[in-house]
Amino acid sequence: MRRIFRIISLIFLQLITVVYLCFAEADDTFIRSETLKLADEDASTRRAAIMTLAQSGDLRAEALLESYRLGELYLWNGQVVRCTDMVEDEDFNEFYILSDLLTDELILGAAGNRAGVPLEELEELSPSRAERRTAHSAKFLVRLSSPDPEVRISGVKKCGDPPGIIEAVSQLEEIAQNDPVKKIRYVAQESLLLIRLSQTSREHDPQAHLEIVRELGKMKSLRGLPRLQEMFDELMVEVEALPDFEEGTDIEDLDPADVASLGIYKYGIAYKYAVNQINSYQGFVEGIGNIFRGLSLGSVLILMALGLAITFGLMGVINMAHGELMMIGAYATFEMQRLFGHTPDSPSDWYYVAALPVSFLTAALIGYVIEVLVVRHLYRRPLESLLATWGIGLILIQLVRIRYGDNIGVNAPTWARGGFEVLQDLIVPYSRCFIIFLCGLCVLLIYYLMNYTKLGLRVRATMQNRNMANSMGVNTQRVDRYTFAFGSGIAGVAGYAWTLIGGVTPDMGQTNFIIDSFLVVVTGGVGELIGVICAGLGIGVLMKMIEPLGIGSLVVGAIWAKILLLIIIVGFIQFKPAGLFAPKGRLSDV
Amino acid sequence: MFRLYSIVAIGLLLLAVGFLGVEEVNAEANKVKIGVLHSLSGTMAISETSLKDVVLMAVEEINTAGGVMGKQIEPVVVDPASDWDLFAEKAKDLITKEEVAVVFGCWTSVSRKSVLPVFEEHNSLLFYPVQYEGEEQSLNVFYTAATPNQQLIPAAEYMMEEVGAKKFYLLGTDYVFPRTANKVLKAYLKTKGVPDGNIVEEYTQFHHQDYQTIVGKIKKFAAGGDACVLSTINGDSNVPFYKEFANQGLTSDDCPIMAFSVAEDELRAMDVPPLVGHLAAWNYFQSINTPENKEFVKNFKAFCERNNLPGGSKRVTDDPIEAAYFGVYVWKAAVEEAGSFDVDKVREAVYGLEFDAPGGKKQMHASNQHTLKPVYIGEIKKNGQFKIIYKSDGLVSPDSYSSYLHPDGIYPAPTGGPKEKIGM
Repeated sequence: MRRIFRIISLIFLQLITVVYLCFAEADDTFIRSETLKLADEDASTRRAAIMTLAQSGDLRAEALLESYRLGELYLWNGQVVRCTDMVEDEDFNEFYILSDLLTDELILGAAGNRAGVPLEELEELSPSRAERRTAHSAKFLVRLSSPDPEVRISGVKKCGDPPGIIEAVSQLEEIAQNDPVKKIRYVAQESLLLIRLSQTSREHDPQAHLEIVRELGKMKSLRGLPRLQEMFDELMVEVEALPDFEEGTDIEDLDPADVASLGIYKYGIAYKYAVNQINSYQGFVEGIGNIFRGLSLGSVLILMALGLAITFGLMGVINMAHGELMMIGAYATFEMQRLFGHTPDSPSDWYYVAALPVSFLTAALIGYVIEVLVVRHLYRRPLESLLATWGIGLILIQLVRIRYGDNIGVNAPTWARGGFEVLQDLIVPYSRCFIIFLCGLCVLLIYYLMNYTKLGLRVRATMQNRNMANSMGVNTQRVDRYTFAFGSGIAGVAGYAWTLIGGVTPDMGQTNFIIDSFLVVVTGGVGELIGVICAGLGIGVLMKMIEPLGIGSLVVGAIWAKILLLIIIVGFIQFKPAGLFAPKGRLSDV
Repeated sequence: MFRLYSIVAIGLLLLAVGFLGVEEVNAEANKVKIGVLHSLSGTMAISETSLKDVVLMAVEEINTAGGVMGKQIEPVVVDPASDWDLFAEKAKDLITKEEVAVVFGCWTSVSRKSVLPVFEEHNSLLFYPVQYEGEEQSLNVFYTAATPNQQLIPAAEYMMEEVGAKKFYLLGTDYVFPRTANKVLKAYLKTKGVPDGNIVEEYTQFHHQDYQTIVGKIKKFAAGGDACVLSTINGDSNVPFYKEFANQGLTSDDCPIMAFSVAEDELRAMDVPPLVGHLAAWNYFQSINTPENKEFVKNFKAFCERNNLPGGSKRVTDDPIEAAYFGVYVWKAAVEEAGSFDVDKVREAVYGLEFDAPGGKKQMHASNQHTLKPVYIGEIKKNGQFKIIYKSDGLVSPDSYSSYLHPDGIYPAPTGGPKEKIGM
């Protein structure tokens, strides 16, 4: 029932907006006349005009106020016009190009061409600093009427931020009651409380004041936290100044004024209680958030290391070009974006779907070529394969640099932007979720291929005992080739996924990936898929647990977290030199 | 495969042309050599390649217009490969073997510090085109980009006065520029009465990619609504930072990011929608609306396309590119005024020189080796350009040493300069 009501109210709201917008169009003269007041001599008239414009409910007022703030509005022939462009004639005289305030159409001159107006005819509406700030915050008042929830919520939020826009109260109350989006109702309520908190003081209206504080605590309002903490700190200063009472003094003997002053303890308790309420909730959210961040970092690490787990772990090739194969995957994604013509303005999200197989195949193909040309000659010489693959990596970097230059950008598909709020104040980005999903998919695929297919059987046979496999009729050379290509392809997929969260440069492999990949594979135990998964997740979660730790203002931070993590891993390797899951039995001798 | 062959073929051709060129120089004395010392490979190639391109463009323009004092400029381009030691080595080669009249180069402060002794020892001249942390004044260097008081301080002031920020999150990459920049910023904020608790300073290593925790922290820090980030994050770390920032639901309304190392050229490599509305402070933007600048932008694009440089006509100009470009013209003007290529004479001629740069009139400082420049603050637009939302009144004079780090007003003397002759 409630839901139906909400849907109806939603439809109704939209209807109102449509009607209102039509109505607003007809109201141009009102906006124009109000804008004209911005040029008034009297400062209070100007301020009133800013507020009237902001409350007009006309969404065009936002652009108008922004133009005003940036000093783009001019008074010309008794009307206010916008001017952002200027031309020069042959004699270096400057002419200003004017456009209409609301429609943004160029104002035409007498001859029908663009009117170029010399500066002398224009009078700039130059707002003072205070006015610029008023216009800036009034902008958010306009947004309250926006039909777009994204825009509306930003307005709702900013109206409550200190010092708070009092003019917004009635509209906020309306939104807090009736907005179709739950999140917006919550934020509106929060903003209302924050505005009221700045309006009431404990001297004037103690009851209402305490009520607001309690309410903010109950809402676990993160935005209220700084203000509450500040009030508590201020109160503590007052408490310090209170007179000391000797123990055992009878209350009758004390100065009544002193006794009354003890009343502030009540507020202290209320503030502290609210602060604690919020902080404990935030601690809980942060804990969950850290676990998610760890999982997300872990899945990125696993994805990076999976390909290497095959080429290095299974085949024993110290493949220093692994990072470059990931880079190839990322550039393949970029190439697909270009092919599909995906830009922020005209998104075509299918490119990202198409890029998955393309990045896999491109990287696999290059891996295949590397195997045929170089790696196959070096199977018994690991150190030389290290140098040779590193050289290949450098060649790939420079080739890509020559082809693409250094600066390219991959635009994420629209569905990978933003995130959803799982819990209040805990947002999980879509892109991160996708990577976790893709990582799981790759792991399953590899597990299935290796353990349940004939191909996998041959691969395992070749890696365990090449001569025996050969004599049983397995074409080991071909198996090597396909395995290496497959590992490279998986690296390509990792590069593909990376474009969602990171940057793409020719040397991304060397700077970002290669060390972490080896770290994961070595920690996990060479040759074991499960080792890669455990090591990847372990390192990810550990890293994200260490990073936010700290005492007071001394926080571990990103740099020290990495150092500590490396120390932990070095220590770990001392105890388990073969990694988490060491190959057992005869295999370990190989 | 065909492409590969053609690349090889072009390479060989270039080499052959190069050899011919060398022959020609030896035959013809009517040329003057200049050095171009920018990394064309390695980490810094992403930024420095564009500077090499624009210097070559300036040279081409000057040569077509008749050269410097009738002499054609011959650029000697070397690649120090983002390797600081190699910078010093290549600089020495340029000065002693190639005997160049002047060098245009360097990006990172560490590379400049590494070549500084070489230039001072040989009393040679370097034009340095990148905004940096200040605290240096060598008579052998002309700094054509901003000092902290021409970029950091106006930006912080803007955040405080116009945006109303009260809390500042200073986030940077861990090396000398962000460290010193944040020192200056903190000293400045303190004089403005910002309490210690409202300033957070944090660093990440180069190429840091995982900003989840930091963005989480910023979110909590900015919850009160009056916070901003002052970012000196460098290079490829910016991409994951801005992406994470947007994905965790933060916008420029919640907490604007004021960046000191993100310009148009870096924006080309970024997924722009998450950045829209965030800010950057520079002394030049491609969007500066003057005929001179439009001409400059057009010429640069045409130059890149004509020479088949990666990016072609999609290339953009930005602050360091402008600074590198007018550096060449400043040197030319100074040489012509001095009537000589002699370093000491050129140096004297540079002092106080007024000139027209693409971004408008500028002037060299009368004594401290730096440049008087206007300060702009721009807001990132969807197309990867900046909308200028603030411009300083006139030119801002550079402080080679920040008054916030030397509150006693005692500044070190400049280093380098003319060699005293033995026996004098």
